[in-house]
Amino acid sequence: MTAEKLKELLLASGADAWELTCDDTDIWEFYFIRHALDQNRVRNTRHITLRVYRRFEDGKCLGSAGGEIPPTATEEEAAAAIAAYLAAASCVKNPAYTLNTPSGLSRESTAAVDPAESARRFMEVLRSLPETETEDVNSYEIFTGSHRIRFLNSEGIDVSYVRPSSMAEAVLNARRGVKEIELYRKFTGGTCDAEALRRALSLALATGRDKLTAVPTPPLGTCDVLFSGEAAAELYGYFISRVSAAFKVRGYSDCEAGKPLAPSFNGDRVTLRALAALPNSSRNGAFDAEGAPVRDALLIEDGVVRRFIGSRQFSCYLGLSDSFIPGNYAVSGGSCSAEELRSGLCLEAVDFSDFQVDPITGDIAGEIRLAYLRKDGKVTPVSGGSVSGNMRDFIRDMRMSRETEQQDSLLLPALTRLSGVHIAGAARG
Amino acid sequence: MKAPFSPYLNSIAPGLKRLCALLGERYDYVSILSTDSRGFALRASPHVKTVSSETMTTERGTVVRVRRDGLYSEYSLNRFDPAAPEAAALDLTRALDAQLTLLSSMSTKVYETAVMPDEPCTLFAEMETERLPEEEDLSALIARLSALAEDGMRRGDHLVDCTVSALSTHICKLFLTANRDLRQSYVYSEGSVMTVAAEGGKSGMGYRGLSGRCGPELFSGLPARLDEALRDAAELLKAERVVPGEYEIIADPEVAGLIAHEAFGHGVEMDMFVKNRALGASYIGKRVGSDLVTMHEGALAACDVASYAFDDEGTPAGDVIEIDRGILKTGICDALSALRLGVQPTGNGKRENFEHKVYTRMTNTVFEPGTSTLNDMIASVSHGYLLCGCESGMEDPKHWGIQCIVQRGYEILDGRLTGKVIAPVILTGYVPDLLGSISMAGNEASVFGTGGCGKGSKEWVKVSDGGPYLKARAILG
Repeated sequence: MTAEKLKELLLASGADAWELTCDDTDIWEFYFIRHALDQNRVRNTRHITLRVYRRFEDGKCLGSAGGEIPPTATEEEAAAAIAAYLAAASCVKNPAYTLNTPSGLSRESTAAVDPAESARRFMEVLRSLPETETEDVNSYEIFTGSHRIRFLNSEGIDVSYVRPSSMAEAVLNARRGVKEIELYRKFTGGTCDAEALRRALSLALATGRDKLTAVPTPPLGTCDVLFSGEAAAELYGYFISRVSAAFKVRGYSDCEAGKPLAPSFNGDRVTLRALAALPNSSRNGAFDAEGAPVRDALLIEDGVVRRFIGSRQFSCYLGLSDSFIPGNYAVSGGSCSAEELRSGLCLEAVDFSDFQVDPITGDIAGEIRLAYLRKDGKVTPVSGGSVSGNMRDFIRDMRMSRETEQQDSLLLPALTRLSGVHIAGAARG
Repeated sequence: MKAPFSPYLNSIAPGLKRLCALLGERYDYVSILSTDSRGFALRASPHVKTVSSETMTTERGTVVRVRRDGLYSEYSLNRFDPAAPEAAALDLTRALDAQLTLLSSMSTKVYETAVMPDEPCTLFAEMETERLPEEEDLSALIARLSALAEDGMRRGDHLVDCTVSALSTHICKLFLTANRDLRQSYVYSEGSVMTVAAEGGKSGMGYRGLSGRCGPELFSGLPARLDEALRDAAELLKAERVVPGEYEIIADPEVAGLIAHEAFGHGVEMDMFVKNRALGASYIGKRVGSDLVTMHEGALAACDVASYAFDDEGTPAGDVIEIDRGILKTGICDALSALRLGVQPTGNGKRENFEHKVYTRMTNTVFEPGTSTLNDMIASVSHGYLLCGCESGMEDPKHWGIQCIVQRGYEILDGRLTGKVIAPVILTGYVPDLLGSISMAGNEASVFGTGGCGKGSKEWVKVSDGGPYLKARAILG
């Protein structure tokens, strides 16, 4: 089954509108135990998804249904699936909206990604880490390659682009006597950023030594907490949700364009932008999943919401004509240096079990695997216990470092300080 | 009725067997897993309704596992032409040889593993269901879900959204080797109601689900879940934050299941033993919980979303007693890890889908019930919380930490519920301390299967877990 054949079937189906996406995936995977190859894998697949639309009630409502059509489907199977989707779409009574129309950029020139070269770079970095007798690599997994994507719709969009996609995860050990600990690190990006990966993993190896000497986190009540890396990215995901068109329509976001995120600010104010591209992001691509061209857009400026953004359906419901689904975001740096943010009593969290921010309620939660308690000029590694609180309570006083760092598709302050975070102390262990 | 096995898989089976034979000339072990799982996912809220044929487990594709020179390799494809298995064999060997060229140029060492046993076996399992997802009247079902969502919005105080979901999947899998031909077909379904209330800048989110190894008949239970989710949202809107500290707790069966899953579900996945990543490896035969802790894991340990006949490596489903009256007995194991460890596989080799690698994964993870009633348990608590509903959890097999994010807690003072609600609740602790502190177990166990399970932060599969009400001590924050 080809995209062209499906397009023919869709044109003949009587659908009022349709969208079709073809994703050719070519990914190489390698799994290592220590530095010995555990398994190698190749993914060579094609995924075709389509969505059909029905207008009814004099065009006031638009229903849709869709899903994947296997590339091995026969013409009869595909036609039957389209007919079933159309029948289901007739019962899905959503307010009407329009699909994206051609932007003038019909096809992006596409460059092939060489998975062998990217895999080689990943392996070279992981083999050359500064391992010692007491800090070393336990295991790692490498996934690298690309998705070649073609999107078509009934309004005449026909665009193609390549999305490089890579991920490496590494488990590192540190030991002292019979005690051994592990640290987990994950890297995602377009291809291998050897320097960034080497820097992050070398730092993690050093961090392992501190975890060996960590003491149980004391019951601090409330305390200022410093966030970085993936946990900080999770924090800023909350702000991205606040300006999501879908969240606004569903009632999950009470933000208003032109109004501030909080009644007052004592700290740094968030400025958030959607970016068309970030170096080596796995979310780079000239178009979004619905064929709209992506570009830079200011979403929150100095703590004031400037606009909502997101999929065509929810953007239309909000009356946004120039919207799209961003792939990349940037949060501007704050007013002080990272070192200044580390002053005074605070807990600098560097490793969580699974730090989460609920995008709807704003609740934050995470078990501490390693943090540094900074008190009276002394720095103590601590482990165990948890952090909790709510983002709504933190926005007014949050502070961000001037320095920024990139976490795949998000450029963000290297360090973020939240005040009044609840800290549960650790059990023995 | 029996869930019928996929005609598509039956039609390509001869071609796949030919592919297996062709690859057998070059490799000393070949297995093929081919899948054809169809379903639907309907979601209705007053704001938007969606219909999709995709669930977490719908797929059609093939993964081939081969072994040569001690190395296991895999190739995932979804454009297999049963009339041209020679072309698929050529694609596979070219692709894997290209990888080996790279690996050889980098003088890569191989973690050598023996040839997998391949005793003759045939199985054809079509499991019972009342209805099939592919025959369901989706128009009628989306109308029912929409009516429920609208009803929820009318009845709920301060509600901004009420989303009702219904998902059903008909799983069909074919596993072939030179000597094995295993085919299974079953249906599982899951439904949920999510309510979101907002007032004065604060939000509360209720969530109730239901699941089973059954067809869309399951969704008749959704109205009762709506009532519960409305109550949850109202309670969460007025919930207070817990004062961090150690408390007596009573975990409801859902929270008990989350503890089982995170504590000694992940903790004894034996592919982690191969990598020396699990403390459990050195605790077999030792005490890890109180006498009241007996824990099962296996596709046969319960009948829910992960109750299959064989796993993704062709190993028959099992029911392992991992912990027996507090003593850690054994772990669970996929076939490749079992070969490396010199143990028997337990039927826990699972893939996210045909494009993903096999890892040791959970299926149904369940604490056995005890003899206490919930009233007796509440009466025994001087100051603590009845913890209900799960949001998420995270394992830590190397250090035996545990993180469970619980939806809500009800305060208990001097043996009585006070009516005060706390939320959210982060339960943390050291696993042997937590399981060792279990002092009462309820007389009835329940199983829940609406969630997904990741390995670290990826590789999502369906699992269920559960148990009885459990009384213990834990750190709450």
